[in-house]
Amino acid sequence: MERIYIFKRFERIWHWTQALLIIGMMATGFEIHGSYTLLGFARATTVHTTAAWALIALWVFAIFWHFTTGEWRQYIPTTENLTAMIRYYLTGIFSNAPHPFRQTQLRKHNPLQRLAYLGVKLFINPLIWASGLAYLYYNEINAAGYAIGLGSIALVHSIAAFLMLTFFIVHIYFATTGHTWSSHIKAMVTGWEEVEGDARSVP
Amino acid sequence: MKTRRILVTLLATGLAAASASALAYEGDWKRGRVYYRSVCTACHAAQAGGSIAPSEMTKAQWQAYLQADKHAKGKDSLKQYVGKPYRASIRAQNKAADKFADVPDEELFEDLKAFVIKGAKDGDAPASCS
Amino acid sequence: MKIRHLVLLAGFALASALPAGAAPAKLNTTADHSKFKELQQEFASGPEVTKACLGCHTEAASQVHRTKHWNWEFLNPANQQRLGKKNVINNFCISVPSNYAFCTSCHIGYGWKDGNFDFAAQENVDCLVCHDTTGAYKKLPGLAGHPPYKDTEVLPGSGKIVKATDLAKVAQKVGKTSRDTCGACHFFGGGGDGVKHGDMDSSLASPDKELDVHMDATGLDFTCGTCHKAASHDVAGSRYTPVARDTGGAHIRGKEDDSNPATCQSCHGETPHKKGEAAKLNDHTNVVACQTCHIPKIARGGVATKMSWDWSTAGQLSPEGKPLLKKDDKGRVIYDSKKGDFTLGENVEPEYMWFNGDITYTLLGDKVDKTDGITHINKVGGSATDGRSLIWPMKVFRGAQPYDPVNKTLVTPHTAGNDDTAYWKNFGWEKAIATGMKASGAPFSGQVDFIKTDMSWPITHMVAPKEAALGCADCHSRDGRLAKVGGVYIPGRDHDPLIDLIGWLMAGGALAGVIGHGALRLVRRKD
Ligand code: HEC
Repeated sequence: MERIYIFKRFERIWHWTQALLIIGMMATGFEIHGSYTLLGFARATTVHTTAAWALIALWVFAIFWHFTTGEWRQYIPTTENLTAMIRYYLTGIFSNAPHPFRQTQLRKHNPLQRLAYLGVKLFINPLIWASGLAYLYYNEINAAGYAIGLGSIALVHSIAAFLMLTFFIVHIYFATTGHTWSSHIKAMVTGWEEVEGDARSVP
Repeated sequence: MKTRRILVTLLATGLAAASASALAYEGDWKRGRVYYRSVCTACHAAQAGGSIAPSEMTKAQWQAYLQADKHAKGKDSLKQYVGKPYRASIRAQNKAADKFADVPDEELFEDLKAFVIKGAKDGDAPASCS
Repeated sequence: MKIRHLVLLAGFALASALPAGAAPAKLNTTADHSKFKELQQEFASGPEVTKACLGCHTEAASQVHRTKHWNWEFLNPANQQRLGKKNVINNFCISVPSNYAFCTSCHIGYGWKDGNFDFAAQENVDCLVCHDTTGAYKKLPGLAGHPPYKDTEVLPGSGKIVKATDLAKVAQKVGKTSRDTCGACHFFGGGGDGVKHGDMDSSLASPDKELDVHMDATGLDFTCGTCHKAASHDVAGSRYTPVARDTGGAHIRGKEDDSNPATCQSCHGETPHKKGEAAKLNDHTNVVACQTCHIPKIARGGVATKMSWDWSTAGQLSPEGKPLLKKDDKGRVIYDSKKGDFTLGENVEPEYMWFNGDITYTLLGDKVDKTDGITHINKVGGSATDGRSLIWPMKVFRGAQPYDPVNKTLVTPHTAGNDDTAYWKNFGWEKAIATGMKASGAPFSGQVDFIKTDMSWPITHMVAPKEAALGCADCHSRDGRLAKVGGVYIPGRDHDPLIDLIGWLMAGGALAGVIGHGALRLVRRKD
């Protein structure tokens, strides 16, 4: 058993702040959508909008960080080991088979993660941001002569929100599929991941 | 002597004119209405077990009531609740008392009188309290 | 020396004789009418007073002659409908012709007792009804617009005596119009206090801030004329051609502007909400009328408004043949043999609809059909897409009223009068309608049936303090105030059911999937 330092301090702060904001935004977002009543519409919109701006600010930092550190490369998709990963989650995991992927500092994410996160970053997030900003600035957009109905904007925004919710559920579950039930989560908190075997003998 | 006589006449006419103009004030029933509804009724609703409408008494009864200046079954004076000190004491909570804080007592009393007489049971426009 | 003393004495005496505030009552005009010789006389009638007024105000009567207040007639330029109180039919007391002497107690003139009133006579203008300040000037029904000149019983047999009007006193005390003078008619429309409008009743004569922020008697103390600014006796703001959406911005002194000064926007503009959290509200002003949020309920002043009126049940008499009067537990009349059944309401939530200011009336000659369901006495125009509409609060007044099932028209019954056809005296529809239709110059088959009608009244008075305005969730919820208003996407109210279904299935499926996966792991690992 070995411990390697995977997640840097900024990454961890970014991750957990983002987690908090997204959970808050989903809770208030579906309330604004009319699915239930929690804070009341007025407070829900205030929280939702404030959180949105906070998340945008966080994202500006995160993008900057990814590019200056070169960490963006972590999300380049790969097919190498992909089928092995899928097979592992479908069968291997139940028989304590060895994990086909080894984390290193240079390769934090397994190929499935890479694909999933890339999808979030390139598809769900932009969709949610763009429709959300359009939602906020609906009046200005229409005043500028672009006749977009609020209904269509809301539709796109809610589709994106359902995708985000689905990702969120699966993401939380996969957080328990580490070496132990909690090792991934601990790693996200402390930065240190427990991996099996010798970290230096990476294939 | 002559100047003296002139002065006396001047004084006399001046006094007459002054008292006439003081007497000439005619109650403003609308101001009375606002005061009655905001000050008198506010207290009656809270302390007298409900509001007391001007139309509960006749003109003659109101005349006599105001003349006697006995209020709340004779316990205190009604004029007191029209007076500046009372207005000053409640003006923080009562907008009418605040708005009319500087109106002379006699005027406001006349205003009130004009309103209750007009709103009396047999008045020009029987009025409720709110 | 003595003289000096005397002077001093005189000074003291004068000073003490003048109490601090004994300055004469504040007049806000430059003329004290009680000082005018012309008004210091005994007047035998209203027209005599008017002649005295016209001695100085030479153009006043001809100005009044040009107004709706005088003619009770209005030609709607948008659709050429001939409207005005003289012509329209409503579902309250129905119509004016043949009932002139009663209805014209709310006409600003003297002597309109039948169809032959002289509209050109200057002395027929009633100056006092609008310019009285004493509150002692009252026009009684049945006197064709005159106040009582001798002690008069209000309704014969009622025992309620109204004293002869002291015309000289009223004339000497004339002043600007007030909530009381406008209210003398407009608070009592439909035949009683608060009956018609719902947002106008006698509680507005001296309201507090909760009832109306602008008219608050201890605060801003607006009169009707503050908003309904009159020029040359023509009062601004019309029920026949209202401005539903005012994009003209605030009226500013010096700005050339003949638009309606009585809209909210004419003072507040279109972005009245302060910066910060409330600023989002400014994004609503192109969809929702100010009144929708700021008048959360009508009839809030303790006076109930009529919500419905069923004429078809009128005419039931006691075994002795006497008219009946039924009251509810609050002492409000809910059945009157003369009029039928009523329902009343206080603190009523208005209904909401798109409104662009276009109103089309169903007039006397127009075909109506019972099988059409409800006949709209006035159809309000508006839609989400015409660019002229906003969502407005309305009092929708529903009822059933007599109509002619053969000619398929509404009818104008003769209700009030001391003769042998008036409905309120004789309780016979056929004769009453025959008389009324003759006065209106319209054909009547002799058959009477009842037809369901409704009438919409845009709500604009009784503006509540901002703390009492509607909150977001009042509309942004599945069953909120605007539940029935179409053409607009309202977050919280609207959603796409299909997308929601797919979305919840997807998320739920994911959840079920991971729970299953986790359970399997748990089970297997134990082996
Ligand atoms: C501080 C509270 C208060 C104020 C202010 C007040 N009242 Fe009263 N009023 C009372 C009470 C208490 C009663 C007695 C009720 C009872 O015992 O039946 C009363 C009774 C009355 C009555 C019934 C006859 C009587 O005297 O018992 C009249 C009339 C009346 N008030 C008029 C007025 C008028 C007019 C004003 C305004 C100038 C006024 N009141 C202001 C408390 C007040």
